[in-house]
Amino acid sequence: MAAAASSRPTPIAWLLAPAGLLFVLFFVLPFGVMTAMSFYSGNPVNNPNATLTTRHYERFLFDSAGIFHDALWSTLRIGLITTIASLLIGYPLAHWMARMQSRLGHALVLMAVIAPMLTGIVVRTFAWMTILQDKGVVNTLLIQWGLIEKPLPLMYNEFGTVVALVHIYVPFMVLTLTGVIGRIDERLEQAARSLGAGRLRAFAEVTLPLSLPGILAGSLLVFALSISAYVTPSLMGGTDVLTLPMLIAQQVGTSFNPNFAGALGVILLLVSLVIVVAYNRILARLSGEQGLA
Amino acid sequence: MSAAPNRRPFDAGRAAYLALNGLLLTFLLAPIAIVLIFALNPTPYISFPPVGVSLRWFDKFFSSPEFMNALFLSLWVAGCVLVLSIVIGGACALARARGNLPGRASLTAFFMSPLMLPAILTGLALFQAYLLAGIGRPVWGLILAHTLVAVPYVIRTTLAVLHNFDRRIEEAAAVLGASPIRVFFEVTLPLIRPGVFAGGVFAFIVSFDQFPVSLFLVVPKGETLPVVLFNYMKFDLDGAIAAASMVSILLALSVVLVLEKLIGLKAYVKL
Amino acid sequence: MISRRTILRSGAVAVTASLAAPSILHAQTKTLKITTWGGKWGDVMKATVLPAFEKEFKCTVQADQAFPFVPKLQASPRNDPLYDVLHTNSNEQWNCVVEGLVLDKITAKEVPNVADVYPYAVSDKIVGVSIFTSAIGLGFRTDKGLARPTSWKDLADPKLAGARGSYIIPVNSLGQCHLMMLGKIYGKGLQDLDAAYKALEQLKPIKLVDFTGQMEKMLLSGEVSMGVIHDSGVYRYEGENKQPVDFASPSEGVLALEQVLNVTPGSKVKELAFAYIDYMLRPDVQKLLAEAVWYSPSNKKVKLSAKYDEKLLTTEAKVATLIQPDWKWYNARKEDIDARVTKILRG
Repeated sequence: MAAAASSRPTPIAWLLAPAGLLFVLFFVLPFGVMTAMSFYSGNPVNNPNATLTTRHYERFLFDSAGIFHDALWSTLRIGLITTIASLLIGYPLAHWMARMQSRLGHALVLMAVIAPMLTGIVVRTFAWMTILQDKGVVNTLLIQWGLIEKPLPLMYNEFGTVVALVHIYVPFMVLTLTGVIGRIDERLEQAARSLGAGRLRAFAEVTLPLSLPGILAGSLLVFALSISAYVTPSLMGGTDVLTLPMLIAQQVGTSFNPNFAGALGVILLLVSLVIVVAYNRILARLSGEQGLA
Repeated sequence: MSAAPNRRPFDAGRAAYLALNGLLLTFLLAPIAIVLIFALNPTPYISFPPVGVSLRWFDKFFSSPEFMNALFLSLWVAGCVLVLSIVIGGACALARARGNLPGRASLTAFFMSPLMLPAILTGLALFQAYLLAGIGRPVWGLILAHTLVAVPYVIRTTLAVLHNFDRRIEEAAAVLGASPIRVFFEVTLPLIRPGVFAGGVFAFIVSFDQFPVSLFLVVPKGETLPVVLFNYMKFDLDGAIAAASMVSILLALSVVLVLEKLIGLKAYVKL
Repeated sequence: MISRRTILRSGAVAVTASLAAPSILHAQTKTLKITTWGGKWGDVMKATVLPAFEKEFKCTVQADQAFPFVPKLQASPRNDPLYDVLHTNSNEQWNCVVEGLVLDKITAKEVPNVADVYPYAVSDKIVGVSIFTSAIGLGFRTDKGLARPTSWKDLADPKLAGARGSYIIPVNSLGQCHLMMLGKIYGKGLQDLDAAYKALEQLKPIKLVDFTGQMEKMLLSGEVSMGVIHDSGVYRYEGENKQPVDFASPSEGVLALEQVLNVTPGSKVKELAFAYIDYMLRPDVQKLLAEAVWYSPSNKKVKLSAKYDEKLLTTEAKVATLIQPDWKWYNARKEDIDARVTKILRG
């Protein structure tokens, strides 16, 4: 039975309902409450003196303190660097995993890739402190081997933050990529090789373009995650790093200003959504060009 | 380069490839090795280099009712989240891919948005919502909150599988006389199963390791392991949290291994 | 013959009875909702202090350990607050009282043992009652050839460039205390922010961390040779594994890091809440906790064992060295201070 291409939703669209319900109740409504709060000076439920105001948004836009706009750029910049680094590290691993013949080997690498996600936020930071700090493993070894004289500042700055973030997010990148790469028919590469292309060229001109949807999907995921991270940057960045999520966390946890935090959250979400929608348009267009159903 | 596959005894290219991957694996595993060292180091503070090997932190972890309760609660919550997010996320992905809905790009963005919002805000917003609704902080509230942040992963991985799905298999089954429902259950579902379960693995891990959302939604004596560890660690610096971390890793890895055996994530790769 | 209707009816009665029964019991045992720290403190509370309290006062105590507490209290309704007793540091208590989340003053009328505490515990710089305090001073390594610091200015010693530590000021009250102290020693007083900012600039390069646990780690691993820390964070390493770190109380004075208990105005069990604070001020309870975590007890009548008595603040004279900052003043300016120090200390 051939289904005529129609522009009306098919019955299967109803399967959206559970997710839709979950999101409306647990995301849209609470977030709506928070957005509403961001236009108040206090909590209107508890505090009869709370008035409607746009001062939280004004505070961000005019940024008289000079740190809010910087925080937004830092957030996006760290997100971008983290995404690119995760891609560069994750792709070879995903490729290796996807092409691996041995089931045992595959399982072992899978476990090695997933393990970082399970370490737990705080312990992971202490582990990185041990590795990256001035008296840490890396610096001690480099000094011992005579490669450097003074310890490199690897921690309490943007470098340390990115390293720690990449470490957490590479597994997401790998697992997203490995599926896509695995699905690329190896015979295509072999055909290119038999036509005279070297391994590197076959990879660059066959495998890499075909894995582009995976690259974009993985990058989107990692970018979304890294621009909302705040625990890791707080613990790894000292004062050198101040991202918008860190600012939000500070406003909630130590300045006790949930209204301003809500406003910052709305701003962050809007910026992110713009980027994500643009990303998805590119992804859709690229996949469409390749004629994948 | 010759056209024939390399038969040279030392394949420099392949060696470099393996060396690179080895280096990357080292990067991934180094912090975990450090955590293991902490967990076995007998001194009551976290230091490097280690002074010995001792199981006292594992002992402390296992004999602490607080840690154990938290561990089981985390496992239980993660298990529920796994099931819920597979069902909800899988359904959503199917609808998005096959349902011919308008505004697909925006839909995807919408369902990804919990990932982009700092979880502390999600946690706070849900906490306020729960209080307003007067339901307090029940465990099912915690589970549903975790599901919210886990579902995007399942949607993502399932969509990826559906993307490259060869629909001719379904058409063939229909041609051979199977009803649409039968086609769905006996052809479609089994073929997307690996993608759904890969997302499920993510969901389990994300829930098990979830911290900021849990922070606001746990109750006394009903805290998840990451919350307990974080608060323990603010006041006490010893190897117990390293031991807890190692146990978490091993447990979660076992779950992943079991899932891998059951459905074979490699099948997901080779779809 | 028993008809279905009879069974159903008696079943309904039985169910209603069993549903009512717990609520009858519930009406007899009150619940006290408190907050508490984790770690060693939490262990002692849960193992000894709280069960004893529950037994004596015939109640149940629900202790929330998931920090931060104030945002949660903020979000809960005023007439049914999430906590009856809030245990936190002084700066946060001041944030709360400004919003009406906690009481203004607690006197000996509500909590009899208040009559026995040192003046600082109920001074005008405190809202609620301080049950313990620590001294914020300088921790340092004893094996790096450093002389024992005698002044806060020793932290600025050029030899310590890159080897000194403090805290990320927006999120840590020890960092905030340190900033105010800089105003006092380099300027006109605790509120001389201009002098403080200048002094902060001079302290660069300095390693900044989020919380005291990280500072402890930095000192123990030798990452810093001197850092701002409270005495309990150093003294807890006494004993089995003696580490080459020690604590120094600078001559200009040490700042107080108080553990303050307060009651929420909307609490439905105020009597019990006050009884709890009274209980926490009892000499035996104070001694138990003080010796577990090296806090200085507020009750004058507490007699600690020799090794604790030596190091902690247990006499009028020693307690007089404590400086209590004006948190009300600081909190009102916190946003501006946060922005300013972030700019100074960033890169």
